[in-house]
Amino acid sequence: MPHLLGQHLLGLLSILRKLKSAPDQEVRILLLGLDNAGKTTLLKQLASEDISHITPTQGFNIKSVQSQGFKLNVWDIGGQRKIRPYWRNYFENTDVLIYVIDSADRKRFEETGQELAELLDEEKLSGVPVLIFANKQDLLTAAPASEIAEGLNLHTIRDRVWQIQSCSALTGEGVQDGMNWVCKNVNAKKK
Amino acid sequence: MKHFLRMFVQVCLYFYCKCLWRCLKFVARKLTGRCELQRICYNTKPGASRTMKIESSLRGSKSKLLQTSVSVHPDAIEKTIDDIMDLKKINPDINPQLGVSLQACLLQIVGYRNLIAEVEKLRREPYDSENPQHEEMLLKLWKCLKPDSPLEARISKQWCEIGFQGDDPKTDFRGMGLLGLYNLLYFAERDTAIALQVLSDSLQPKYSQFSKAEWERKKFDKAIGYSFAIVGINITDLAYNLLVSSALKTHFYNVAPEAPTLAHFQQTFCYLMHEFHKFWIEEDPLDIMEFNRVREKFHKRILKQLQNPDMALCPHFAASESLINM
Repeated sequence: MPHLLGQHLLGLLSILRKLKSAPDQEVRILLLGLDNAGKTTLLKQLASEDISHITPTQGFNIKSVQSQGFKLNVWDIGGQRKIRPYWRNYFENTDVLIYVIDSADRKRFEETGQELAELLDEEKLSGVPVLIFANKQDLLTAAPASEIAEGLNLHTIRDRVWQIQSCSALTGEGVQDGMNWVCKNVNAKKK
Repeated sequence: MKHFLRMFVQVCLYFYCKCLWRCLKFVARKLTGRCELQRICYNTKPGASRTMKIESSLRGSKSKLLQTSVSVHPDAIEKTIDDIMDLKKINPDINPQLGVSLQACLLQIVGYRNLIAEVEKLRREPYDSENPQHEEMLLKLWKCLKPDSPLEARISKQWCEIGFQGDDPKTDFRGMGLLGLYNLLYFAERDTAIALQVLSDSLQPKYSQFSKAEWERKKFDKAIGYSFAIVGINITDLAYNLLVSSALKTHFYNVAPEAPTLAHFQQTFCYLMHEFHKFWIEEDPLDIMEFNRVREKFHKRILKQLQNPDMALCPHFAASESLINM
């Protein structure tokens, strides 16, 4: 019996050592989108935190999440028009860009499309994989991801890998699928 | 095995301390002829230090009556006090002061609990633009903050002038629901001069020495002090957290002579807005992106202040001073 216990301990130790010797690859993720798109809710959902007390973001939030051998450092920057000029200060060394869209806010599809197009034109973000979350699919009035992809002419993106994923940051549906794509494409940055 | 032993020792220690505490209380009771509640009332001055001691004594009591007394209905407080006096065999004719003191404490304790429930209910009610009452409050907020410029339309870029994010404030209330609107309106209506001052300061550009061309070249919005309404909703979150985490007990037990009410909470919010504004100017952050850092630092500072049992955040709002000295 003690022998068995010892073996277990040794096994545990070796796992611990492995964890220590192979530190997770750090990934810098930038979370952008218009105000009220659901960026902070998504961030908190990723970190498995309570999402019932969210307030509009002044400035930014940052959280680190462990996922599939990666340490994801997620930067959530406020989407208010006044803050958007500051987005550029966070472009440097971004590994993946996540762009969040409120699928039910049809009136602002044009505005969100314009902001996204400007981001894709940024030199510092060139080649960076982009994941577009068509958020708020829990709402009845939400547009499907395919319609948004078409409206934003996503198929014309040729200089990077991209993906559109429908999700609901509120219920968590689709969020993990999107993050799996992120982890798969972390190293797909085109030089 | 080692872990288990350590836990075992801790459990034993816990029971030992509890037993020791009981014995101490027993000895003290025999020596002074007074029960713990009496001793607290006689030895501690009224206010937060007394009420908090009474609260923890009641919660830690082995008697069911005392344990549940902290959550009775406000109307049942008098009866509860009588029951406690009976249980502790205290003659109200010899100790007339004790019942009054205990009642004052219990009113505050029960009131704080009920205030949390009331605030939570408001927070959970989302802003609904179909509800005429909600709309009326929102429009009133505009009128209080911008008395000289009428709102051109319900959906309008003008909302940004008082610090909402876009042309329709309804989405900005989010996790704070109606509580955010209630607080902002209270601030604008009851503390108008300061609210207007804070609003006007928040609209000042950070670097006024920049020329207009430079601002435009950098694509910065000139009015990037901070967004008044959004910061109000964020400070509502801060006040809410202070309340729910019991940190505000010190303040309320010191300023509210009886049960703290929603108005007390809103006055606290006004105070926090004003203090945060001064703190923001003192900290002199580079730009709005430092907001969360400054807010965290401010939160810590307030928490530290509230650890002092004599602390009252906004004594100028306190109702009649005479009542508190019961």
